[in-house]
Amino acid sequence: MSQKNEKMLMIPKIKLGIVIDHIPAGDGVKILEIISRYEEMKDIPVTLGINYDSQKMGRKDLIKLQLEYLSPEIIQHISIVVPGVTIKAIKDYKVYSKVVVQAPKVIKNLLRCKNPNCITNLENESETLFEAVDEESKQVKCAFCERIFELSELEPIIK
Amino acid sequence: MKKDLISMEDLSVDEIKEYLALAHRVEATPEERRVKLLPGKIMAAMFFEPSTRTRLSFESAMHRLGGSVIGFAEQSATSVSKGESFVDTIHTVENYCDIMVIRHPGEGTARLAAKTSVLPVINAGDGSNQHPTQTLLDLYTIEKDLGNISDISIAFIGDLKYSRTVHSLIRALIKFNVRNYYLVAPESLRLPKYFMMSDEPDKFNFYETNVLEEVIPKCDVLYMTRIQRERFPDLLEYEKVKDSYRLTAAMLEDAQPHMRVLHPLPRVNEIAYDVDKTKFAGYFPQARNGVIMRQAILLKHLGVEL
Repeated sequence: MSQKNEKMLMIPKIKLGIVIDHIPAGDGVKILEIISRYEEMKDIPVTLGINYDSQKMGRKDLIKLQLEYLSPEIIQHISIVVPGVTIKAIKDYKVYSKVVVQAPKVIKNLLRCKNPNCITNLENESETLFEAVDEESKQVKCAFCERIFELSELEPIIK
Repeated sequence: MKKDLISMEDLSVDEIKEYLALAHRVEATPEERRVKLLPGKIMAAMFFEPSTRTRLSFESAMHRLGGSVIGFAEQSATSVSKGESFVDTIHTVENYCDIMVIRHPGEGTARLAAKTSVLPVINAGDGSNQHPTQTLLDLYTIEKDLGNISDISIAFIGDLKYSRTVHSLIRALIKFNVRNYYLVAPESLRLPKYFMMSDEPDKFNFYETNVLEEVIPKCDVLYMTRIQRERFPDLLEYEKVKDSYRLTAAMLEDAQPHMRVLHPLPRVNEIAYDVDKTKFAGYFPQARNGVIMRQAILLKHLGVEL
């Protein structure tokens, strides 16, 4: 069997859809968890590949979604939880656009502050806002209570 | 555009210097002229938790400029206690005044008020986060008493872990390039490392010790704070340490002649009453400077030139 066919067996090619690639091995489930929290994603067929060989990363995870369009909100959530993944749009089995997503410098209304005494947790319907304190957005500061957190420890808000 | 005063982190050194310069001008202006500066202006003092000193200081500042004051001194006196949201309270009260001064136990409250309202908002303390008017009045006191800020060595004594006054002042002094900090605190109440951070860590020296006497001859400012009983999970521990951080007149023998003892007040027993009569006691004039600095803040944020 040719190498190409082996790949085909491992994970099916899709005609139309979204591929989330270069996910660090083990983090695929985190992205799956984010996706599953969105109502609009409930009926979308999803394939998760774990521990695939990768020239660049050694091992990687991979997710394929059979849908045409992934909302910017979900993309931003993914970029916050697992920054650095590649999101590719597929049409007629070919990649027609791709983007490497990095955690944004400013994160509005997507994460909840961990400080229970922060006004964003005391006031109903309050917006939340975090600003990166380092280059890679690993640490963020709540624009309200001014506490600094690791980005990875903050819980997303799903409406 | 309206201007708010929410956090010391928002201010550059030059902006801080503008507040200090304006406070000097306020102090140099005769009272009969000052009282004509803000006639017809109304300040809302919205104190969602009790704070007698800060509230009275702000009210006094507004009255001394000829303005008037409305407000409340505790949450139970407001519609919030009837279930009204904080944002609704702000939207309502902004129709009654020209400037809002807010104290609230929740962190980030002043920032939320500033985003909500079209009026200038002054943070008079948001939980354990910021109390910028205290820091500005501390800086004003240091500059007035010692002639400058950048060249001083300063000692902080007491609860350095939880005191937002200490945290905020240290962050501001780092901006002014103050190099030497003596930190005197019990093991469990030491300054969190975060507050010592800067882009040039080699430039600043933080000396930590448990012995108050050791630092007295070395510093230009001795900044005392209250050690709160409730901070100690073990009261026995509190009993052990409380007196080691108590300043008496006899301990000041080796102090430099220009040295000043400051304290955000209220004090409990960390400064003995015999210190009040020494030339070193700077804490009551510091409270007076608070009224001057708050006049400067009200003028600046209401856009009135002096």
